Amino acid sequence: MAVNGAEIAEKIKSLIYKTCLYQDDCEWNKWLDLCSNDYHYSIRAYSPEIQKDMEYMGGPKEYMESITGQLRKHNIDDSPLKRHAVVYRVDVADDNKSATAVTSLTVFQTLLGGNSSHVDAGTTGIFLVGRYNDKFVVDGDDVKFIEREVRLETRRLDKGTHWPI
Amino acid sequence: MSARNQEQWTAKPKLQSGEWVDSKIYSDEEIFEEELEKIWKQMWIPVCHESELKNAYDFRTMTIAREPVIVVRGKDMKVRAFLNVCPHRGNMIERRPSGSFAKSTPSGTPKTMTCMFHAWQFDMKGKCVNITRKEEGYQDRLCESDVGLRELKSEVYFGGFIWVSLNDNINQTVEEFAAGALDSLAPSVNEEPLEVFHYHKAIIDCNYKLWHDTNCEFYHDYLHYHNRITGFNDEYFARKNTGFKGGHVNVGSFEVQYENYEGFHSREELSFPHLPANQWYMIDMFPGVNFNLRGSALRSDIMTPLGPNKVMIEFRGLGLASDSPKDRKIRIDHHNSIWGPFGRNLCEDLIAVTGQGATMQSGSESRQILHGRHENETIHDENGMRHYYEEWGRWVGRSPSHPDQPFVEPTETA
Repeated sequence: MAVNGAEIAEKIKSLIYKTCLYQDDCEWNKWLDLCSNDYHYSIRAYSPEIQKDMEYMGGPKEYMESITGQLRKHNIDDSPLKRHAVVYRVDVADDNKSATAVTSLTVFQTLLGGNSSHVDAGTTGIFLVGRYNDKFVVDGDDVKFIEREVRLETRRLDKGTHWPI
Repeated sequence: MSARNQEQWTAKPKLQSGEWVDSKIYSDEEIFEEELEKIWKQMWIPVCHESELKNAYDFRTMTIAREPVIVVRGKDMKVRAFLNVCPHRGNMIERRPSGSFAKSTPSGTPKTMTCMFHAWQFDMKGKCVNITRKEEGYQDRLCESDVGLRELKSEVYFGGFIWVSLNDNINQTVEEFAAGALDSLAPSVNEEPLEVFHYHKAIIDCNYKLWHDTNCEFYHDYLHYHNRITGFNDEYFARKNTGFKGGHVNVGSFEVQYENYEGFHSREELSFPHLPANQWYMIDMFPGVNFNLRGSALRSDIMTPLGPNKVMIEFRGLGLASDSPKDRKIRIDHHNSIWGPFGRNLCEDLIAVTGQGATMQSGSESRQILHGRHENETIHDENGMRHYYEEWGRWVGRSPSHPDQPFVEPTETA
């Protein structure tokens, strides 16, 4: 079915928000099902300390499937992460076969236990801020992620997390 | 006896002195302040790496024991360290984490450190080169030569790390301070220039020594069950913990069987100079520094104690400055998979020590923290921690097991 650029842009917005919901709920397979087989994921940040662009995590789809498949084997901080995302911009290529999007991202963490569950449990704080810089492949009305760069501003990450952002 | 009552719980363990410490050393405000004065202000502390100041006039800022420090590279390419404090009114001269003095600032001319407050200026050797409206205000009572910056002892040592001491009278070089603890990795890190490719920080609620303990003891392999246990073999359990003068410990290497870890593969494609493939060395330096080399990537943890129950840890990853883009990517991937903030092991270590910190907050009851495992000084022996706390006792002048009593040198059999 032929679709125009505006319709593709709407699909892309919907797709980005869908990834947020899936990742919020730790539905990793459903998240990755929205990605093409050539998908590449990375978390990156610029460090003013060392004056370098850095990669904190990265790999192809199969790597992401592998590490998310092993999460149950890790001692994880199970404090939920919830994403607040606003799609700022979607650019669809003239041939309607690819697109890019920029999404502003804030991730909140609500402590399950914290340092002391009696005191800290239920406390919400900002875990990190950044952007999703996404690329898509478009085939008619089929849109899939082919690349996501999570571009962090936050570099103080304290305990970090095993979960992809 | 199963569960214990209060008297039993707080009773002296059936272990030798030195095989446990009192949790008060992790939680007491007074002891913490003593540590800053008696240890952190006296020692060599690595503060950053020379690759963070590549060019003349580059700088980095940091703190040691709350004192603001600035490290600059001069026109002569020599690295020098100063208190980051203007001698005029005590303002911090530079607030950015890094940058260059090659260009002008809103209050100052190029190639000087300029205090933005009243535009006093200093050169890269710490000499004051300009007091604004000097004659009008100070006449001939004060001149530039009276108000230079406070220079700090500094050295570039061990693969380009920049070490600084607040102690003007420190009577050791860094090499003497290390007392041989760094020798096992020296050929690998000194062969050619290194470069930092990773930096992030954690500020967590636990005493700095608890993080150092976690780096010292490998008995917590069980914390990383699926990344460690699955690769265990006799060679792993034979790794030696070797103590060096000054409280430093070196954990000997072995060949890691990465392919035994689900989702990993061998790292034999890339290593460090003179380091056989898949080796893993760990060096824990007193009072709170760690160097960790797993084949292709070097990690350093530099601790900055912020309170009895708060520490900042700066994590760096390093490769060779000459790395091709392909090799650098391999090092980054290897580093991140285990040690990144989204990696497999680092989060687990940080979760565990904050769990300790939660039970050892200021004012909590004193408990015994056991360091009593003896396994012929191999990987699950806790001799590394015992060695560290012996040195800690010497510097602070308190017994680690009974911190209200003075430190006494242990006997040979203790």
